[in-house]
Amino acid sequence: MKGRPKLYTNYQKETAILNTTTQKVWALLGLLLLIISSFYLSQYWMFLVTTALLISIAAWGLNIVSGFAGQISLAHGAFIGIGTYVSAVLGGVGSAYIRGYELDMLIWLPLAGIVPALVGLMVAPLAVRLKGLNLGLVTLGLVYISSFIFSNWKSVTGGSGVGRKTARLKIFGIDFNDGFYLGSYHIEKNQFIFFLSLLLFILAGAGIKNLMRSKIGRAYAAIRDRDIAAEAIGINLYRYKASAFALSSFYAGVSGAIIFLMSGGVDPSQFNLVYSVTFIAIVIIGGAGTVLGPLFGAVFFSLIPGVIKSLIHFFGAYGQLLPLHPTQIERLIFALLLIGFLIFEPRGLWGVWFRLRNYFKAWPFSY
Amino acid sequence: MTIFLQASFEGLALGAVYSLVAIGFVLIYKAMDVLSFAQPALAVVGAGIISALAVDRGINFWIAFIIALIATGLLSAILERTFLRPMVGEPVFAVAILTIGLDIILRTVLDDWIGLNPRSMGDPITTWGEFGSLTVLNNYGGVIMKFQEMGALITALVSVLFLRYFFKISKYGIAMRATSFDQEASLAQGINVGRIFGLVWFIAGILATFAGFFITGGFNLLTQASFISALRALPAVVIGGLDSIPGAIVGSLIIGLTQGYVGYYQFPFESATGIILGSGFSLLAPYLIMFVILIIKPDGLFGTEEVERV
Repeated sequence: MKGRPKLYTNYQKETAILNTTTQKVWALLGLLLLIISSFYLSQYWMFLVTTALLISIAAWGLNIVSGFAGQISLAHGAFIGIGTYVSAVLGGVGSAYIRGYELDMLIWLPLAGIVPALVGLMVAPLAVRLKGLNLGLVTLGLVYISSFIFSNWKSVTGGSGVGRKTARLKIFGIDFNDGFYLGSYHIEKNQFIFFLSLLLFILAGAGIKNLMRSKIGRAYAAIRDRDIAAEAIGINLYRYKASAFALSSFYAGVSGAIIFLMSGGVDPSQFNLVYSVTFIAIVIIGGAGTVLGPLFGAVFFSLIPGVIKSLIHFFGAYGQLLPLHPTQIERLIFALLLIGFLIFEPRGLWGVWFRLRNYFKAWPFSY
Repeated sequence: MTIFLQASFEGLALGAVYSLVAIGFVLIYKAMDVLSFAQPALAVVGAGIISALAVDRGINFWIAFIIALIATGLLSAILERTFLRPMVGEPVFAVAILTIGLDIILRTVLDDWIGLNPRSMGDPITTWGEFGSLTVLNNYGGVIMKFQEMGALITALVSVLFLRYFFKISKYGIAMRATSFDQEASLAQGINVGRIFGLVWFIAGILATFAGFFITGGFNLLTQASFISALRALPAVVIGGLDSIPGAIVGSLIIGLTQGYVGYYQFPFESATGIILGSGFSLLAPYLIMFVILIIKPDGLFGTEEVERV
C-alpha cells in the first residue's frame, strides 16, 4: 500500500482534510517556513506576512458566499468594519467621547465574529429574494449605508477623518501591548499577533476545507450552479443562503478585528467601496470557488507593496522621479491584474498553478 | 412654499444630471448585458478633459467642451473594444467586476492629476445673470434657478428626444434595437454587432461627459469626490429597472427630487422631531429608496421580469 498514495481504502481517508501525502508535506513545510522566518524577517516584512494571513481569512470568508454559494457580495468590507468596531468598542480604551470597555480578547474576538454574522443573517432575506446583479447592487447599497453609519456614529467610530484606537491586546488579564518575556526571550506585540494570526489562519483553513466536504458545502455548490434546480431537489434556499452570508461575515469580522489590532487605529472612511472591491479582486485573482485560490490572492495582494517598495529602492527612484505615488501604482497594478485575470485566466492564480502542476505531473509526457 | 419650489427645481435638475449617466448605463446594459461601473469615472474623465483644455491650455471653453465630448466618447469606445469585447458571453458578474477594475484605473490616474485642490472648468456660466443664476417667480418669494441647472434639464430633454428619434428612424438606431433583442439573429441579418457595441459606448461616453460637466461646472468645481455624485445614477437605474430608458429617467428624477427635498427639509425635520438623521443623509437616501424598491419589485419599476427555466 505504501507506494500507492492515491489508493483510498476507506471513505474517511478520501475525505480527509489533507488527503494526499503531497498536501501534507507541503502544508507542514509551509508552516515550518512561516514559523522559522518569523524570527528572521524584518519588522516590515513580518507585518506584511501577518497581513497576508489575516487577509486570506477574510478572502476565504468572501469565497464562501461568492465562490462556493455563488451569491455576489460587494459588502464584504462593511462586515469587516463591523467586526473591527465590535472589537474596538469591547477591547479598546474609552475616553470622554469614545466608548471602550477594555475587555479580554477571549470576549471580544468571538463577538467580533458573531455580531457581523448576525448582521449577515439580516441581509439574508434580500439574498433570497434577489439574485445576480441586483443582489450585487443591493450589497453596494449596504456599503454606502454602513459607511454612513460608521462616519456618523461618533461615540463608536470617532467620526471620519478622526478615527479611534482599536482594541488592546489582553488575554487572561495579561497585557501584551509592550511584548512579554518567555524565559529570557522577548516576544514583541507584532510577533505575538503573528502567532495568533497563524493559529486563526489554520483554524479558518481547516474550517473551510471541512465545510466544503460536508453536506453544507455540497448544498452551496448546488445553489451556485443552479439555484432553481437546487431548490427542486430539496435544498432549503433560505437556510443555506443565510448561513453562507453569516459564515462569510464571521470570517470577515474576526480577520478585521485582528488586522486593525495590528495597525492600532482605524478610520471609518477606510471601509469604502474600494476596500470591498479589493477582496473581490483578491478572490478572483486567486481563483474563486477554491480553497487555495484566495490564499494565493491574499499573499499576492499583501506582498505587492513590499515588492514595489524594494523595487523602488533597488532602482534608486524616489518621490519626485515617479509619476505616481507608490500606493497608486499598487492600485493600478492590482486593477490591471484583475482585468487581465478576468479576460485571460478566469480561474485565477489557482488555475495557473493547476496547469503547472499537471504539466509536471505528466512530465515527460505532458503536452 | 418657496422652499418647496426651490427644492423641487434643484431636485429636478439633479435628476436630469443623473438621467444623463443613467441612460448611458441602460443603453450599454440593453446592448450587451453589461452593467458598466466605469460610467461615473468616464463622466469625471470628460470633466477633466474640459478643465485640462480650457484652463491649463487656455483653449476657448466651448471648443474644449466639444473636444472633450468626442474624446471621452472615443475613449469609452476604445475601452469597450480592448477590454469588454473579449468578455462577450462571459458571466454578467465577471464583466461587471471588470468594469469596476476599469473604473479604479481611470480614477487612480485622474485623482493623481486632479490633486488636492479643486479645479475649475473655465466655463463662462458663472458670469451670466446674477452669479450664474436667475431669480424667477418673484411673487412667490423667488426661486433661484442656476443657468447650469437649466442647462442640465434642457440637455437631458434634448438627449432623450434625440435618442427617441434615433431609435425610431435611423438605420443604426434600428440596428441597435435589433442587437439588444437578439445578438446572434442580428448578426445573421448582416448587422455589424461589434460596431453597434462601439457606437453604444460612444454615445454613453458623450452623455457621461455632459453629466460630468453639469456636476463639476460653475461653482461646483472638479474634486476627487465629484465621482461620487456621478455614481448616484446607479441607484437611479436600479430603481427604474436596468433595461428601461423611461425607467432610468423616472428613477433619476426620483433620486434627484429625494435628494433635493432631504437637503432642504432634513434640518427642519430634525429640529421638529428630535430625530437626528446625521450629516450627509441626502446622499444616503437614494440607496435607501433603492433598497425598498428592490425588495418590493426585484426588477425595478419598469424593468422586464426575468423568466428562468431549470
